Amino acid sequence: MKLSRRKFLAASGGAFAAAVAAANLTSLKAVAESGHGDAQTGEKGEKHIASSCEMCVNKCGFYAHVVNGRIKKLNPNPRFFKSRAMLCARGNAGAEEPYNPERLKTPLVRDGERGSNKWRKISYEEAFQIVAQKLAEAKTKYENRSSVAFFSSEGLQEGSFQMLAQTYGSLNTVRHPSLCLSSTIQGWSSVYGVYPDADLANAMFVVMPGANRAEALVTPDSMDFLRYRPKGQQLVVLDPRFTNTAAKADKWYPVKPATDMAFMLAMINVIINEELYNKDFVANMTEGFDELKAHVQQYTPEWAEKECEIPADEIKWCAREFAKYAPRSVIYPGRRTSWYVDDVAFRRACAIIPALCGCWDVPGGIVPKSGVPLKNPDIMYPFYDMVEERLDVESFGEFDNNLPDDARKEAGLPTDSVAYLGEKDGSWIRFREAVLRGEPYPVKMMMVYKQNFVEAAPNRAKTLKMMEMMDFICMIDIQMSDTAFYADLVIPESTYLERWDVVHSLAGIWPIATFRQACIEPVYQTKSMFEITGGIVDEMLKIPELWDDTDEEELEYFKEDFVEAILHAPIQDYIKYQVSGFENGYEKLLKDGVIYKTDQGVYGQSAKPGYRFKTRSGKIELTNVKYPDKGLDALPVYRRARQPKDGQFRFILGRHGWNTHTGTQNNEFLWEIQKENTLWINSKEALKLGIKNGDRVVVKSSVGEQTVKAEVTEKIRPDCVFYAHGFGRVSKGMSLVYQKGASQAAILEDYIEPISGNAAMHETFVTVSKA
Amino acid sequence: MAAHTENHGKSFLKSLIVNNKDIPAMPFIILGLILCAVGGFAVISVFVKGHHEAYGVTRQVPWGLLISSYAYFVIISTGIAFIGGLGHAFGYEKYAKISKRIVVLATIVLLAGFTQILMEIGNPLRMVYMMISPNFKAPIFWMGMFYGIELVILAFELYLIFKPNQTEADHKLAAVAGFLALLVGVLATSNLGYVFGSLNAREWYHGIYFSTFLVVSGVTAGAALLILVHTIVYKGSLPAELKPSMVSLGKLMGGGIGVMMFLYLWKMLSSIFTEPGDAYMSVMSLINGPLSFNFWIGEMLLAVILPLALIVTAKGSIKKLSMAGFIFLIGLFFTRFDFVVAGQLPPMRKGLAGSGVITDVAGFAFYSPSMLEWLVYMFGFGVFFLLYFSAEKFLNLETESHH
Amino acid sequence: MATKKFGIVLDAKKCLNCKACTVACKFENTIHPGEDDYRIWVTELELKGTYPNISQEYQPSQCQHCENTPCASVCPTKATYKSPEGVVLIDYDKCILCKACMTACPYDARYENVHLHAIDKCTFCYQRQPEGREPACVETCPTRVRVFGDLNDPESEASKLLARNHTYQLKPERNTRPRLHYIK
Repeated sequence: MKLSRRKFLAASGGAFAAAVAAANLTSLKAVAESGHGDAQTGEKGEKHIASSCEMCVNKCGFYAHVVNGRIKKLNPNPRFFKSRAMLCARGNAGAEEPYNPERLKTPLVRDGERGSNKWRKISYEEAFQIVAQKLAEAKTKYENRSSVAFFSSEGLQEGSFQMLAQTYGSLNTVRHPSLCLSSTIQGWSSVYGVYPDADLANAMFVVMPGANRAEALVTPDSMDFLRYRPKGQQLVVLDPRFTNTAAKADKWYPVKPATDMAFMLAMINVIINEELYNKDFVANMTEGFDELKAHVQQYTPEWAEKECEIPADEIKWCAREFAKYAPRSVIYPGRRTSWYVDDVAFRRACAIIPALCGCWDVPGGIVPKSGVPLKNPDIMYPFYDMVEERLDVESFGEFDNNLPDDARKEAGLPTDSVAYLGEKDGSWIRFREAVLRGEPYPVKMMMVYKQNFVEAAPNRAKTLKMMEMMDFICMIDIQMSDTAFYADLVIPESTYLERWDVVHSLAGIWPIATFRQACIEPVYQTKSMFEITGGIVDEMLKIPELWDDTDEEELEYFKEDFVEAILHAPIQDYIKYQVSGFENGYEKLLKDGVIYKTDQGVYGQSAKPGYRFKTRSGKIELTNVKYPDKGLDALPVYRRARQPKDGQFRFILGRHGWNTHTGTQNNEFLWEIQKENTLWINSKEALKLGIKNGDRVVVKSSVGEQTVKAEVTEKIRPDCVFYAHGFGRVSKGMSLVYQKGASQAAILEDYIEPISGNAAMHETFVTVSKA
Repeated sequence: MAAHTENHGKSFLKSLIVNNKDIPAMPFIILGLILCAVGGFAVISVFVKGHHEAYGVTRQVPWGLLISSYAYFVIISTGIAFIGGLGHAFGYEKYAKISKRIVVLATIVLLAGFTQILMEIGNPLRMVYMMISPNFKAPIFWMGMFYGIELVILAFELYLIFKPNQTEADHKLAAVAGFLALLVGVLATSNLGYVFGSLNAREWYHGIYFSTFLVVSGVTAGAALLILVHTIVYKGSLPAELKPSMVSLGKLMGGGIGVMMFLYLWKMLSSIFTEPGDAYMSVMSLINGPLSFNFWIGEMLLAVILPLALIVTAKGSIKKLSMAGFIFLIGLFFTRFDFVVAGQLPPMRKGLAGSGVITDVAGFAFYSPSMLEWLVYMFGFGVFFLLYFSAEKFLNLETESHH
Repeated sequence: MATKKFGIVLDAKKCLNCKACTVACKFENTIHPGEDDYRIWVTELELKGTYPNISQEYQPSQCQHCENTPCASVCPTKATYKSPEGVVLIDYDKCILCKACMTACPYDARYENVHLHAIDKCTFCYQRQPEGREPACVETCPTRVRVFGDLNDPESEASKLLARNHTYQLKPERNTRPRLHYIK
């Protein structure tokens, strides 16, 4: 076993080296021909460098217009077809990031109480030594590498951070999906085996339950649904809030929150009972139709109307129109779906509808994502003895999930575990719960890469309590985020305009791969996460106690094939290897910023003979085959959610296109668009409470309260209130938004969707009163 | 030869200097010095901070207090020149009797006005482009021309009135100059109305109204200032030969206010019926909006009702006339301020989210002058007090009989 | 002589109010954050109706590059002038900052650029013309609200849009004849 693994290791390492050598040859030639080398060194004059954006997750391509070594402007890359060659407000404002007066410029070590904002400047070398020392201490003290948790945010350098986590050997990596989209991934995958896209550029009938593509920008959907909207396309939006997407819709249903599933089940009912479904497709491609048919008989449109407050006739109309335009009809899968504790079941109901009508893998339908084939070196990390299983797995059965008291808690959901926990992602809320209890083992140190969980995770008080329990917290970021503010050591990363990042395939209907090259020299001699990992690993290797629970020989291979060949090599070598399957791939990347096989939409991958869906049955599962094994409903069952009592409002979340999560508000160019958030409250409700537009109001939940200005509006249901994310910050290092407006994390209760482990952030009820 | 000229010049200048101990000029000179010092500090602050920082004007209301104070001074100046022209050119003896003071006063008030426009314009040095690259269509070009020419004419008049050994030809020249000062003054002031009237965007200013109103109110203000200055200079007891002049100026002022009332009435009424246009908004800003205090107390009470009541009941009392003049000149500031600001309060775009425009609930843009704007205005008064009362103190401004 | 006539055709219905254009404009034209400092803007028009029957539209706009220019005619030094393509431009060196153009503009399209010490406004990114590039606001827009082009060239995309659609201009009563055309 060990032998064969080493052989493989050697082989893969050798291949990596050879590929890099070959790529270097061609690139040297290219540099000689184009004079590109001059442009890299000379600080006078103008140049246009292709790279990609990091202001949100979309990674849109741009050309940085650099004048005398300073970014003047970022212009959209015309070849970046995934974004339809656009750059949004954030993408444009990114040009400010390297010059933001409040960016982190040097590593800082805490010099006072946590959160006292007292810091001492240190060098990177010192910072790396501290981290290595603390990692060694944790290992020695707890004899369990998993006692150090590694939290990370999505990005092209997240992989570099994961290299550090894996080098150390902790299994406790906690990524962002369980505060975001893990429930929609789980829901759609339970039907199709994959989390697919919706082809908005070709669909004729679009149902968007809650997704807000006009404001929460996702490429290319946000562009396509207006820019390339086919003539006659009908857009139906379900949302308690009149979002900008609702404003663009043909129909807006202000759906009663937590009842969207009733709408979908009734649509299924109509499609089946009126025999509007695609009989061939259902017969050939799907599994469990009869069970579904029997199951949905109870869910008539008339029944649904009472639940979701959308008229039965409208539901019937939607079902008929959907079937009429099929296969060019979609139910939009959505992205941040951390809404309700039964979100997976709701997403399954959504996913079943296009399957019934055969809207699968064809233009205008639901389409599985394709990627750009890249090579990635296989890195073999040492095996350690002192490692325990993930904390959020290990704690199964130890305590109850956080579920509200209603019908959903009584059946259909696991109460003491997460049914399908992401192996690398974990479940954020579940993880915090286990850390707080210290069971079954203590987690005492945190390494955090850009994940600002103090503001991102529900119930801020609990998060801060968890941080208090830590022996040591190290944060790597570009600004003093709220999480960094409470850390012990803060290490600045270079902004995305100053560093090289690995190639990343953006999967979708129009797959394209992108990367980053440094557009300018780092303004403050900062380092990329790749370099930070390299620096920390070097320091770790100097501490023998860190390596006494692994095989010596394995360690030598690790040093040779990973530390030497990858970490000590320029990141450009890594990039060259990734694109070594493309002719002149590296040169193309440098010049075009992108690499792709085709600029046309990719359809019909699953229509190839012998294609097996990644479900247990190998078919599209209308009735899930594996769920009953875990005691879960094989079909989506509607169970009534509790609703706010008199005087209460449901607090709902949402986005707009001016900021990304909590990461961009302290950028002056974005801040001047929205300087603080406001509480949307329905005008009739406001009248009852005597609240006028602009009044300061207190929003209170069971876990916290915030004071914020009221925005009295017609644009929200009377039983809901809303304010935008990213304000009311606790970090004094973000002075533009420090204590401006209100924080979501402070008032959100920490419920959990226990099938996927996603947070359930639309289950919080609040009261509103004049301040 | 050169030395001779110099000596001659020296003796000429020397001959002008007198020391009028009787005139209560010192308090005003000191006031002028103080205002100049404070204003001078403000001027320096403006140059250090930059106009944009220093002034309260905004994108929606680009013209504020300093345009008002500029208009305040220069229109008084041309009003005075108008009265001088009546004396010089048209032989109104009552005004000719005070022609020396008229010319000096008109010149100095004009200079005070120029301080305001120089501080208002962000790049006064670039005004050279008005010569190199003139736009004949632009009323501001003509404003520069007319006021420039007015200054030249007044300077020439100054030369003539202080010239020793005046000849008949000099008198004829003075008559021509006086006429030209009147003519160019009227052109300049009515053109100032056109500077506003030519603004496509600003309905409030369109038409002939402001050109007329500015000229009329300017002559009225000229009369008011002349009465006030004479009352101060003679400490309330005027020589008998000047009393008829003052009474006549009082009548001119009263008549001026009468015409102003007439103009007001129809402008306000007709504007109310332009609803929902911007002129309607402007008139509402005066009657019932952000400028209503200025309008009712300043424009109406101080510049119309009180002075008119005093004039009507004066019955030859110079004290009452001068009191009327004093109140009118205070009220006139509001008149000028409202004139400049009211037309700009209706925003060109609604104050909706994202527009960048900020308005109050009634939809008006905001403007309130900054402290530095007030101080620059005070600088204008400082220049006026210092120069004029120095002239009174050190020059002989008594007009000798022509004949 | 076939002269070019630059203009923009806007389909405001596509506007997401995402502000990509306004931020792009600021970087392209080096405009620092500041309340009055902007060349272009996106207005949220009044919400119409009451819950749940409501509608909302947005109106992106900027200097209209009027054929009949109220600003240029009041400029005493000809600092405001028109390019051969009809783009209304400012010769910053000639601007005396009298602000007559600001008060004359019915669109509130002008502002004082403190760094240039002159009045400033949208130039259709005239600096990009030599390279034949579109204005920054046009180029960066996620949904292509604005289409820039030569309105004298019937084959340009802008001309075609203008011909195919019913369009309107802002404040036609001011007789400025704007070069910005909004699709109805």
